[in-house]
Amino acid sequence: MKDPTTKTDSGLKLLKVGKIVASIMLIMGALSFYISVFYASSILAFIGLGLTFWGSLLLYIAPSRYIKLELLNAVAVQNLTNIEKVIANMELNEKGIYLPPKYLKDFESSLIFIPSKTNYTLPEPEEIDEEKLYSKNPEGVFLTPPGLALLKLFEKELGTSFLRADLNYIQNYMPKLFIEDLEISENVEIDIEDNIVTIEITDHIFSEICWETRKMERTHKVIGCPLCSAIACALAKATGKPIIMLDEEINEGEKVTKIKYQILEG
Amino acid sequence: MQMPLTFWDISLWLAVTAIILLITAELISPYYGRTSLLIRKERLKNIALITAILFLITVAIRIFGIIIS
Repeated sequence: MKDPTTKTDSGLKLLKVGKIVASIMLIMGALSFYISVFYASSILAFIGLGLTFWGSLLLYIAPSRYIKLELLNAVAVQNLTNIEKVIANMELNEKGIYLPPKYLKDFESSLIFIPSKTNYTLPEPEEIDEEKLYSKNPEGVFLTPPGLALLKLFEKELGTSFLRADLNYIQNYMPKLFIEDLEISENVEIDIEDNIVTIEITDHIFSEICWETRKMERTHKVIGCPLCSAIACALAKATGKPIIMLDEEINEGEKVTKIKYQILEG
Repeated sequence: MQMPLTFWDISLWLAVTAIILLITAELISPYYGRTSLLIRKERLKNIALITAILFLITVAIRIFGIIIS
């Protein structure tokens, strides 16, 4: 896979150069404008005004702080290793079920139930506790979704909770959120057919993390990458029904990630 | 010492700058999938709008001046 950090590094260097150029423009512009007042030169004044304006504009629109993508990847992937350990030790192979808010004590939170046997029987609400790890009836494990923090960020950016949303809202607003607001991806397409939701995300910034998740076979199969997990949490909250991630395909050539979710009755 | 630019010079400069900024803000908008540019696009968009509004204010002042005279 192509190293995305090279692109980021060149971008950061460009930013530093841009800031230096902007500062020089600002100083030269101010000087030019000052001289123009003494010589009553409108040409110098225009040059001064232009340089001062564009210099300050370049400084104003440059991001003040940025994180290298490789740092973000290093932090995120490490957390997934722990989930992989738990799933491997418990020998869980079934798909994780993203529980809807009605099963939880804290409606704003999110939880995954991974059953140990092949059936989509959900535990009783009394059995479910965000603090608990094991479930006895039915047997399984409760885990905090790796995409929960990302889900909170989505809600903060949208200014609303997915509890007050539905599938139409997700179909209409999630592409805008991903492309314009958070600039996570270049394009997002959401297709809803009966109880199957297919989401195609083009060239997203989590591609490296998703790629690393694929190396952890069980986590990838049972829970999915943090981005898939965040979307599953959003779907569970919006529909009020349990969600499972059916499949995640990555088309490297077209840089498209295709994720399929199933809405369960429950 | 004398201010070398008149009110109308500044008005013209604002018009040109506003057009450049508005076109740039639109072209680099993430709406078209341009998410790799490391700049604060909202800030650029706001500055473009402010510059355009300032130009329109100078136009309003000019129109007001014509009506009054």
